Amino acid sequence: MMPVSPFRIFFQTGAWMVTAFLVLPLLVVIPVSLTDTSYIGLPKEHLSLQHYANYFASPDWLKATWTSIWIGTIVATCATVLGTSFAIGCWFLSDRASAIARWVLITPILVPPVVQSLGFYRFWVKLGLIDTSTGVILAHTLLALPYVSISVFAALANLDRNIPRAARSLGASVRQTVMAVIVPAARPGMLTGFVFAFIVSFDEIVGVLFITVRRVTTLPKQIWEGIQDNIDPTIASVATLLVILTLIVTAIGALRRS
Amino acid sequence: MTTPILSVSNAVKRYGDVHALDHVSQDIADGEFLTLLGPSGSGKTTLLSAIAGFITLDEGRIALRDTDITRQPPEHRDFGMVFQGYALFPTMTVRDNVAFPLKVRKRPAAEIRARVDECLDLVQMGQYADRMPSQLSGGQQQRVALARALSFHPQVLLLDEPLSALDKKLRADLQWELKALHDRLGVTFIYVTHDQEEALSMSDRIVILKDGKIQQDGKPGELYNRPVNSFVADFLGKSNFIDVTVTGAEGDLLHCEAKGASFPAIASENGPRSGQARAALRPERLRLAAPGEEFLPARVRQVSYLGERCQVIVTHDTLGDLLVSCPTWKTDITPAPDLPVSIGWDRDACVLLAPE
Ligand SMILES: Nc1ncnc2c1ncn2[C@@H]1O[C@H](COP(=O)(O)OP(=O)(O)O)[C@@H](O)[C@H]1O
Ligand SMILES: [Mg+2]
Repeated sequence: MMPVSPFRIFFQTGAWMVTAFLVLPLLVVIPVSLTDTSYIGLPKEHLSLQHYANYFASPDWLKATWTSIWIGTIVATCATVLGTSFAIGCWFLSDRASAIARWVLITPILVPPVVQSLGFYRFWVKLGLIDTSTGVILAHTLLALPYVSISVFAALANLDRNIPRAARSLGASVRQTVMAVIVPAARPGMLTGFVFAFIVSFDEIVGVLFITVRRVTTLPKQIWEGIQDNIDPTIASVATLLVILTLIVTAIGALRRS
Repeated sequence: MTTPILSVSNAVKRYGDVHALDHVSQDIADGEFLTLLGPSGSGKTTLLSAIAGFITLDEGRIALRDTDITRQPPEHRDFGMVFQGYALFPTMTVRDNVAFPLKVRKRPAAEIRARVDECLDLVQMGQYADRMPSQLSGGQQQRVALARALSFHPQVLLLDEPLSALDKKLRADLQWELKALHDRLGVTFIYVTHDQEEALSMSDRIVILKDGKIQQDGKPGELYNRPVNSFVADFLGKSNFIDVTVTGAEGDLLHCEAKGASFPAIASENGPRSGQARAALRPERLRLAAPGEEFLPARVRQVSYLGERCQVIVTHDTLGDLLVSCPTWKTDITPAPDLPVSIGWDRDACVLLAPE
């Protein structure tokens, strides 16, 4: 037997503990979602799917889910188009101005969400966008933009700067060069950015709480309100469904890559 | 001379304080293989980029036959371009890369197919048509880039150090192929390199650049045998330099006095014909012999064996170190450190240049 170093034991134990710390709170929603009680807690007598049934029967929950999905899709599309254009533009310029522009664009990641939401609130009041889907889409697009442009920057980082020159000398206009050569090279980054942007929007709550009242309710807001108003275990069912969905998507992604 | 295909006049390009191009003028004849040669940073890429239309000149103009193209965008110029880093489109197959210029010109599909096959065969890459660029070696990628740049029958082919990223053996093979391709197609080639051997072996004409200025241009032999300044004499092949005073003339031959030696030298174009001067002497024109057989006594300092040639540094009491390059198959003497020898050269071996 090889002697096992104490360091190794220390770090391995540490790693497992951190993993448990991260995963257990996620897993605890699973038994809660299967409870037979009408309040949040562990199952008393038997497991029950009643709260899943409740989710699928509730117009409020389904509407909120649908709202999150379509807003997320529009946000992801807008953010991908805008973020990709921005990244490609900067890649072409690649001077000091574009380096500064890149930093400005990623500031939304650095600013605390509450501060940002307050900003949205003040502006959206002036623009009459409070409690409209347009307002939410606009705010989410701004929040998602940096993720798209960062992943497109990464995809373009290794592209040879002579490639657009080659395309031009071969007879392609600037537009043809971008569409035929640069965009295909940026495509993996655009795809990642699209997924990220969708998740950012789907997940976002602080901004939504600030800029919506009654008319627009997204899934995170519905969950939040569910916890505030009553302690309905349907929340745990929704959470479990989201965890399962995430696992499936991640697994598909991992399988496709290998 | 017939009208040149390309004519660059008084081209100036500045980057801050750097003059990347400093009043460069050059006419390029149709079908010529012209090489722009110079050390790194001498402005070769800048000149080629200006011809291709990637950068705009601060001053000067570029004409294609009789048309001014100084401000024309690159896609309207019809010049093929090959880069050191290949610049193949990574998301397209070899076939699609070569077809690209024909597709943007909206040629019929059948014609594109035939032309792509023809061009890939031209560079012996027919069997790789369906590969991605990342699946090819550097040499193969450069062949594809060449096929792509030739597929649309460009007026001029611009090549920016196309072989510099390849290893020595492959580079030599591709040099022959490029030359053969040029002779076969008759397209004008403008070839950029910092490698003097490459320039000498392939070009019809060489333009030597330094600090954005043309130093000299001419046929490889002319430049090699009649350099106009010490930069050219030392950049294109090596040269020994001897500071001399001109004491008399006899036709094209000038009599020179150096410390401890006197010998004749040829005058260069616009070079000095009296007073202080600098004689340039090619290492291979120097002869090495046993003591007393040649006119200058010297001593071997260092020997470097290179296979077919042997580089020897000899020291003369007053002239200092001189580099001699002698064929290794000539075995009258075997140079070794500290061996006393004598050195000499023919009457026409020295070229007289302006003093530094
Ligand atoms: N985009 C640029 N910005 C600033 N300086 C440049 C730029 N391009 C070239 N230069 C400068 O111009 C000079 C000539 O460069 P270049 O034409 O690339 O030389 P070469 O191709 O002969 O190595 C160099 O001093 C280089 O630093
Ligand atoms: Mg260069």
